[in-house]
Amino acid sequence: MAATDLKKVNRILENREGTSGELIEALQDVQESYNYLPEEVLRTVSERLEVPLIEVFRVANFYKSFTLKPRGKHLLTICMGTACHVRGAPKLADEVLGQLGVKPGETTEDGQFTVETVNCLGACALGPVVVLDKEYYDHMTPGKLRAIVQKVRKKSREKVKV
Amino acid sequence: MSAYVTLTINGAKVKAPEGRSVLDVALDYGICIPHLCHVRGLTPIGACRLCIVEVVKNGKSKVTTSCTLEVEEGMVILAHTEKILKARKNIAEMLVAEAPNSRAIQDVALRCGVKEVRYPFRNKDCVLCGRCVRACSEIWQSKSLGFVGRGKERHVALPFDKRPEFCKRCNACIDLCPMTITPCPGPMKKGEEYLCGLCESQLSMAEEIPDSCIDCRLGEGFSCIRKKP
Ligand code: SF4
Ligand code: FES
Ligand code: FES
Repeated sequence: MAATDLKKVNRILENREGTSGELIEALQDVQESYNYLPEEVLRTVSERLEVPLIEVFRVANFYKSFTLKPRGKHLLTICMGTACHVRGAPKLADEVLGQLGVKPGETTEDGQFTVETVNCLGACALGPVVVLDKEYYDHMTPGKLRAIVQKVRKKSREKVKV
Repeated sequence: MSAYVTLTINGAKVKAPEGRSVLDVALDYGICIPHLCHVRGLTPIGACRLCIVEVVKNGKSKVTTSCTLEVEEGMVILAHTEKILKARKNIAEMLVAEAPNSRAIQDVALRCGVKEVRYPFRNKDCVLCGRCVRACSEIWQSKSLGFVGRGKERHVALPFDKRPEFCKRCNACIDLCPMTITPCPGPMKKGEEYLCGLCESQLSMAEEIPDSCIDCRLGEGFSCIRKKP
């Protein structure tokens, strides 16, 4: 993707001219439709919402749900909150990060997976919790997680072949 | 004409215009309260905590930063009690451990009577005082730089780490930054940081007369009001 497609952001910003209070909503929509926050798009957001660029940059950096780098096709979120931690989340994370060959926050070379860690997803009783493409997986073990990742990977490979 | 209030600072009765900060008033009257993040004319943010004082009310005292404290009628301020000096010294000690590579910070440490540093030196190049950020957004309305990140990742940054085209290169950020005054013997290398004792002769004065100005480089280079003609 050389030149970023600005059509989508123009639609997102429709009726939002000068509404600095809607910055987060606008960024959420951008994240949703571009899968990350491209620099060009953020510059447009800053101009049209009339929010200083540094403010947009700061907000984009502040929240974990925003990323300035393209995310992989599949987003894997591992909960590292206290409850999940004591139930073995670190082991889980170690395993899957090794399996995919990335560090937390990074994306695999083939652009398939992005792995992120968060501190509590609010489902502590089900811990350790992992979210893959918005689906929650409870009581995870390294083995179970490995199988799930493999399955998803295989599926998207097949899709490519078709 | 603005209204005036009367208050006492370290026992001295002083008159000050309403709305002014205790720190500014003290400096106007020649009482030095060590400070770092405060720059006259910029919004105080109470970041460095050096300017703490005791405010006495109904026989009870409260410790707070004087740069963010507005003067009030009948206010009683004690800027150099034993309790304050001790706390301030500790703050200065942590500050110089964090960022020893600045004559301004070394001077502040000296001013606060730091003689040894019990914390590991970190040799950071920013102390998050926010002088640059406030100067950029408040004097020039430019907002070319700001704080980004949270917790221990918080740092001063340009948008997308690039200088924006609307930055006027006024250099106010650099002029106001305490980290741009190198220590007299030159910049310190990582692992070779030290507490500079070269100006130790000033120390006796700092200890005996805590109110006095010791000609610190921060005040000199950055026009602490004491140094203005
Ligand atoms: S860059 Fe300098 S002026 Fe800006 S916050 Fe850091 S120490 Fe303060
Ligand atoms: S600690 Fe993982 S969901 Fe709360
Ligand atoms: S000068 Fe008041 S907190 Fe820094």
